[in-house]
Amino acid sequence: MTVVGNLRLNGVEDLERMREELLACRSPSSKCVRVCMGPGCAAKGAARLYEVFCEAAEQAGGEVEIQAKSVGCHGLCECGPIVIIEPGEIFYQRVEEPDVPEIFRETVLGGRVVERLLYENPDTGEKALTAEEIPFYKVQKRIALAHNGVIDPASIEDYVAEGGYTALAKVLTSMAPEEVLGEVERAGLRGRGGGGFATARKWRSCRQAKGSPKYVICNGDEGDPGAFMDRAIMEGDPHAIIEGMIIGAYAIGSRQGYIYVRNEYPLSVERLRGAIEQARELGLLGRHILGSSLSFDIRINRGGGAFVCGESTALMASLEGRPGEPRAKYIHTVESGLNGKPTNLNNVETWANVPAIINRGGEWFASIGTEKSKGTKVFCLVGKVKYTGLVEVPMGITLRRIVEEIGGGVRDDKRFKAIQTGGPSGGCIPSQYLDTLVDFDELTKLGSMMGSGGMIVMDEDTCMVHVAKYFTNFLQKESCGKCTPCREGLAQMLHILQRITKGEGEEGDVEVLEGLAELLEGTALCALGKTAANPVISTIRYFRDEYDAHIQERRCPAKECRGLFRYEIDPEACKACGICLKNCPSDAITGQKKVPHVINQEKCTLCGACWEKCPFTAVLKV
Amino acid sequence: MAGKIVESVVMTENNELIDRIVDRYDGELGMLIPMMQDIQTECGYLPVERLRSLSKRLNVPLSRIYAVATFYSSFRLAPKGAHEVTLCVGTVCYLKGAGRISEVICKEFRIDPGGTTPDRLFTFQAVNCVGCCAVAPVMLVDGKYYQGVTPESALEILYGLAPDETTADEQEGA
Amino acid sequence: MPTVTIDGRKVRVKKDATVLDAARKAGIWVPTLCYHPAVVGDASCRLCMVELDRGEWKQMITACNYPVRRDIVVYVSSEAARKARQGVMELLLARAPDSEELKELAERMGVKGTRYPKVTESQRNCILCGLCVRVCEDMIGKSAIGFAGRGVDRTVAAPFRQPSEDCIGCGACAVVCPVGTIKVRLHEDEQQVEISPFKSRVKLVACERCGAPVVSELVVAEALERVELDSEQLRERMRLCPKCRKSKTVAGLADVAGRNRK
Repeated sequence: MTVVGNLRLNGVEDLERMREELLACRSPSSKCVRVCMGPGCAAKGAARLYEVFCEAAEQAGGEVEIQAKSVGCHGLCECGPIVIIEPGEIFYQRVEEPDVPEIFRETVLGGRVVERLLYENPDTGEKALTAEEIPFYKVQKRIALAHNGVIDPASIEDYVAEGGYTALAKVLTSMAPEEVLGEVERAGLRGRGGGGFATARKWRSCRQAKGSPKYVICNGDEGDPGAFMDRAIMEGDPHAIIEGMIIGAYAIGSRQGYIYVRNEYPLSVERLRGAIEQARELGLLGRHILGSSLSFDIRINRGGGAFVCGESTALMASLEGRPGEPRAKYIHTVESGLNGKPTNLNNVETWANVPAIINRGGEWFASIGTEKSKGTKVFCLVGKVKYTGLVEVPMGITLRRIVEEIGGGVRDDKRFKAIQTGGPSGGCIPSQYLDTLVDFDELTKLGSMMGSGGMIVMDEDTCMVHVAKYFTNFLQKESCGKCTPCREGLAQMLHILQRITKGEGEEGDVEVLEGLAELLEGTALCALGKTAANPVISTIRYFRDEYDAHIQERRCPAKECRGLFRYEIDPEACKACGICLKNCPSDAITGQKKVPHVINQEKCTLCGACWEKCPFTAVLKV
Repeated sequence: MAGKIVESVVMTENNELIDRIVDRYDGELGMLIPMMQDIQTECGYLPVERLRSLSKRLNVPLSRIYAVATFYSSFRLAPKGAHEVTLCVGTVCYLKGAGRISEVICKEFRIDPGGTTPDRLFTFQAVNCVGCCAVAPVMLVDGKYYQGVTPESALEILYGLAPDETTADEQEGA
Repeated sequence: MPTVTIDGRKVRVKKDATVLDAARKAGIWVPTLCYHPAVVGDASCRLCMVELDRGEWKQMITACNYPVRRDIVVYVSSEAARKARQGVMELLLARAPDSEELKELAERMGVKGTRYPKVTESQRNCILCGLCVRVCEDMIGKSAIGFAGRGVDRTVAAPFRQPSEDCIGCGACAVVCPVGTIKVRLHEDEQQVEISPFKSRVKLVACERCGAPVVSELVVAEALERVELDSEQLRERMRLCPKCRKSKTVAGLADVAGRNRK
C-alpha cells in the first residue's frame, strides 16, 4: 500500500498530489475488513483475529481487492472484538476466530450479512447494521476521535488519504502565526488535560515570552485510573497529534517538541515513533517542512511510572532527567518551563483537536458545546454501566444522557449511585445532579471536575467511604512526597478513612477530614496536592449518611466494608448443595443434605468465599 | 589473580553497554531516564555498577541517578523473576475485585506487590491502570492480556507458568 | 522598585525579591524551615504560607519563593494565613514528635501540640525539608546525598544507602539541618569524622602542633583546590587546630609588634 516510498514532499502541491494518487488507487469495488485493535479488543484476542483475516484476504486474492486493516479503538469496548466491513460499514461485534470464515464467505465475498454477529438492542430486540444505528454511538460526535477505528494508525498514507496534514498545508501557505492563534481563540478550545485553561491564551503567552529555544510538549502521561482516552488517540490516530503539534509550533515559534508517554503504554510509544519516522521521511517533520521556512522536530520520552508526572512542572522535571517533582508555578511555564525556557504544554486530546479547528474554522468548533466549554470531549465510560467504552460527546450534553443513552444505564438492574468524573482528584456526583451539563465550570461547581475524561459509574453496591479511601490511597501512593501537606496530610486522611472503614471511626472524624482537606487545598504545592482531597470532600458532601453509618452504627450500608456487615444464608433459597460448606476456610458453616445451611457468626471470618461460590445466590450480605 | 582478570572483563563490557546507550541519545542529560530504561531493558534491572558507570560517563552525581531510580516505580534495583506478572488495580479493576485478586496472589506466593517469588518464577506488580477498563479486571503475564480475571483464574494462570527464563525474555523481545 | 504592603506596613524591595525578603525587611516574622539564604528556595515545607490579596480573591502563597514583580498586598497575620501555617506545623509535629527544635518553633508559632497521630516514618525526626541535599549540591558541589523514594517513603540518603564516596565530611548538611537529624560525630580514636545518619566517614587531619583532630582531609584538599592561592602559609594553617592557629597568629603578631617597637 506504500505509494510514496521515500519521496519527500517539497511543497503543499506534493502533498495534494500524493493524496490524489492515494485516492485514485482505491478501486470502487475494493473491500476492506477493519479490525479494532484498541486495548479492550486487543485484550479479547483482536490481534489473532487480524492475522486470520489477513491470511484469508491473501488466499482470496484475485479479481477483488481485499484488505484487512488494523485500526485504533472504535469505542464500544464492551462488545469487542469489533470488526467492520467495507463497503456498507457493517458492524460486527464479539467476533471470534471461528467466525472469520463465515464473515469472509458471506459478507466480504457474498455481500450478505451475518445476522448473529450484529448488535442487538436489548430493549427493542432490533438489530443494528452499522455503528450509527447503535444507541451507544447515536449521540456521539467525533472530532478528536474522527479517524479512530477508520484509519490504520501505522500508515501515514491512510491519514493523508483521509485529509491528513491539510490543516498544516493551509497554515503554512495562507496563515500567519497570529492568524492561527486567532483561529484557535475563536474556537474557544480549552485544555483537555484537566485544568481547562484557554489554549490560545497559553500559546500566545509562550509566543510572546522572551527566551529561546521555545518548546512544545504533548502530555501523554495519562495516569488516571479508569481513563484511556489519550491512549486511544495515540494508538489510533498518532498523526493528528503530530499535525496539531506542528501547527502549534508554527504559531508559537518553536523548533523542538516532546511527547511524554506513560510508561505503561508501550504500543503508544511504538505508534508515535513510527508516525514520527514516517512524517520525517515525507518532510513533514524536520528542516523546512513542506518546503517552507518552518523547521520542527519531535522527540518521544517514555515516562518512568509516576502519576505525578501528569502535572506539567513534574513532567518537565522528568524530561530534564530528574525525579518528577513539581515546582511552584509563580513564574509560569510558558515563561520558564523545560530547561528554564518558554514551554507550551498541552495534552494529547487538545493537540488532536487542532487540525480539525484549522480545517473547519474556529467558528464551526465554537458552534458546538456550551457558552464557555466548546467542542467535544472524549470520555472513558466505565464501571457499572451496560456498555463501557470510549465516547466523544459534544460539551453541554447531560451526564444522564451519557449514562443512560450511551452507557445503556446501570448493569444488572442495580440502582445508580454516583458517577465519578475527573480522575482520582475528581469527585463523585450523585443521582440528583445527573442532569448537569458536561461543562468545565458546571462540573467544578459540583465539587468534581472535567479532568482528562474518566467517567466511572457506581451502583448501589459501591460504598462511598470505600471509594474515598481507594482514591486517597492512590493519591497518597502517587504523591511525590516533596511538600508537607500532601505527603503528611494524605497519610493522615488515609489513616482516618482506614479506621472508619474498619468500624473504628470516631465522632469528629469527618470534621478532621474536612479540616485536612481545606489545609491541602490551601497549602499544597501542586495541583495534585491541591485537589487530592476532592474525593473525600465530594463524598462527604453527597454521602454524609454513609460516613455516619460507618462511624455511629458500625455499619456499611453498601455492604462493602469487611466487618461492617454479616453473611447469612437465606433458608428459602438454599438448596443445601454443600458448596459453601466445602469452601468455608474456617468451618463456620453447618448443614446436612436437604437441610438449609447456617453460618456460625462467631466462627465466620467474613472472607466472602461462600458468597462468591453459592450457585443459587442464597448467601446474603446483611 | 584470576579474579582480577574477570573483573576487568566485566568492566569493559559494562562500559561498552553504557557507551552504546549514552551515544544513542547523544549524551543528552535530559535523556537520563530513557537511558536508564534502556539499561533496565538490557539487564532486566538496574545493576549498581552500571549506574556508577553511567554517573561517571555523564558526569551526573550518583545521588541523582539513585533518586531517579527510586522515584519512578518502573525501575528495579534487583533482578526480576522469569516472568513478569502485572495486575491492574486501577479504579475499575479494583471495583470489580482486583484488590482481592492481589491479596490472594500475595498470600498464595508469599510476596508483596513489586516483589519476586523466592524461586524467581515471577515478579508481581500491581499497577494503577493499564487502560483496559472495559474488560476489567485485567492481568498481564509477559505482556499478554488476560481479561475478566478472578482470584481462581489468576492462580490458575500463575501455576501454569513455566520456570523457564527464555520464554519470558523472548516474549519481551517480541 | 515594587512596594509590598505586609500587614499594613509598606516596604520597597528589588524586583524579583521574595515576599519573605520583604517581610524580613519590614521586621515581620514568618516561620520557615526549608529556607536558607545560602541555597535556592524549594518551598517544600509550606510553613511560610501567607495570604496574597488579589483584589477579588485571596491566594495562599509561600513567602520564601514568591517573587515580587509589582506592588502587592500580603497578609502574614490574617486568620487564614495563621491557620494554614499552624495546620502545616501540626502535620510536621506528628511526623517528628521528638525534635526539640521543631517543638520550640511550634511554640513560637502558638502551636501547642498536634491532634494527629504519628502515621509516617521519619528517620530521626527528618522532616524532608531538603536543605541538606541542596546545600551539598549547590554550595559544596558534591551531591553526596539526595532524596530517595517517593511519597511517604521518601527519605534523604546516600546512593544505595551505602556510605557515599563523594562525601568529604564537611558537615554543611548538619549545620543547615533545622531539626537536628544530621549530626557530625568525631571518632577520635580512629581519627575519623562521621556524618550521621549517612554513615560516611572521612579521615581527619591531626593538628601538627598538638595532635588534636582538625578537619576532614578531603575538606582540606577541597579548600586548597578551590582557593587557588597555594601558599605554604595557607597549607600550614590548614593543618593546625583552631586553638593552635590562634596562638600561632598571636605569636606572629607579637613578633611583628616587637619588631615595630624596635
